[in-house]
Amino acid sequence: MAYKQERLKEIINIILEKNDRQPLNTLQFDLSLRNDLGMDSLDLAELTVRIEDEFGVDIFEDGMIDTVQEILDKINKR
Amino acid sequence: MGLFLYHDGQEVTYEQLIDDINRQTTLKRYVRESNPYEILKDIVVSLVAGERIVLLDSDFTEQETKNLGLSVKELNEEVTLKKVKISSFEDLLAKIKENSNRSEIVLYTSGTTGRPKRVAHKLDSITRGTKVSEKYNGNVWAFAYNPTHFAGLQVFFQAFYNQNPMIYIFDMDRREIENVLRKYNVTHISATPTFYRSILPYLRETLPSVEKVTMGGEKYDKNLENQLLKVFPNADVRNVYASTEAGSIFSAKGDVFSISPRIADKVKFAEDGELLIHKSLLGESDTFQLDGDWYRTGDIVEKIDESHFRFVSRKTEMINIGGYKVNPHEVEDEIKRIDGVVDAIVKARNNRITGNILVAEVKVKDNIDKMEKEKEIIRVLESKLQSWKVPRIFTFVDDLELTRTGKKVRK
Repeated sequence: MAYKQERLKEIINIILEKNDRQPLNTLQFDLSLRNDLGMDSLDLAELTVRIEDEFGVDIFEDGMIDTVQEILDKINKR
Repeated sequence: MGLFLYHDGQEVTYEQLIDDINRQTTLKRYVRESNPYEILKDIVVSLVAGERIVLLDSDFTEQETKNLGLSVKELNEEVTLKKVKISSFEDLLAKIKENSNRSEIVLYTSGTTGRPKRVAHKLDSITRGTKVSEKYNGNVWAFAYNPTHFAGLQVFFQAFYNQNPMIYIFDMDRREIENVLRKYNVTHISATPTFYRSILPYLRETLPSVEKVTMGGEKYDKNLENQLLKVFPNADVRNVYASTEAGSIFSAKGDVFSISPRIADKVKFAEDGELLIHKSLLGESDTFQLDGDWYRTGDIVEKIDESHFRFVSRKTEMINIGGYKVNPHEVEDEIKRIDGVVDAIVKARNNRITGNILVAEVKVKDNIDKMEKEKEIIRVLESKLQSWKVPRIFTFVDDLELTRTGKKVRK
């Protein structure tokens, strides 16, 4: 569990750093990818590909999701 | 006269548009503008004057503009306009018609050779699919394309000829879109699947005013259609096939496209399933590769019967990223110019947000710090290419995989 969260944080931070945004120290579960982390379509596309490579899960398979918690739910369901 | 365009908190009416046209004394031949009103107004001004206008993306980098092969003098050309006095919307349409054999709209599209392809359209080719009738009087359009791209122009002319309002939501803060669609009672939306996916999380309540939802430019997505129907319960969802070369030609309910009898003799299927379009349906360009009188679209289709087909795949290497087509060779060439890079290959990785993103495998010289090199490559590419052309994931490899004939393996 803790490992998965740590890896997810690292993946999110790769994208945040590219956008010149402050990386996250801790992963808050209610953060919105779009509103709080400012991700656009290309960022979300990169995020889903990186998560798929790491965890083998397609997080947008059943529709749109928007929070860190929703990603974790998808990853942990596996 | 009613609303012409809403953008960024500002409303402009058709009356103000006509005033601005009457006042305008010069026209930039090459439009490189980010404000949609300025772009659309200049298009109308060029049509009234019977002039050629060239539409460039406002986010073209210096390098990309250079690749168009245009001189600085050309890019800055200004046309002096004759004074006009347009008195009404009908008068405006009459002036446009009067000069329609001289006016021309030029677009650039990603070419298969790495160099952008110039395509010039006459008004009648660009408005071939435009329908004008009293029954469209009450339509209100959400404008969700770049106005310098073909799909944007088609939405524009459909709305403009029917004197409909356009609500520009392409660059709008996603959180405001639902309110704006509701406030203006938007009836028609046309956008790429990627755009719809980007706004869906923000559409909380149903929007009953929307009657027609059109998607185009990317692969049909059944799941997305179902989600759209939940938000737009009264909408008819359509899928269109359009290209910069020919404009919008086919429309589909679901993934089966029908060929209208009007153009039945101008469409055919090659033996390998490639869709061919007769040259009379195209705009003009020196760079079209014609096969006799036929244009090879690069799209492989499955023929259902004489007038119906389904898309199967792309024959070319062009990669579709959220409706924007990228030539991987163009990106590879830029990466290979960077110091320390030995070779590179750019490929597509698919995903449910933008259809594809670009990923790159790069071989660098020994003893190079790969983390630093990756940052440098991204920095250089961002300064030279539009953002969707920059690969999102880099892998450093010892050797690129080659086929037996020595070609790189892109898949």
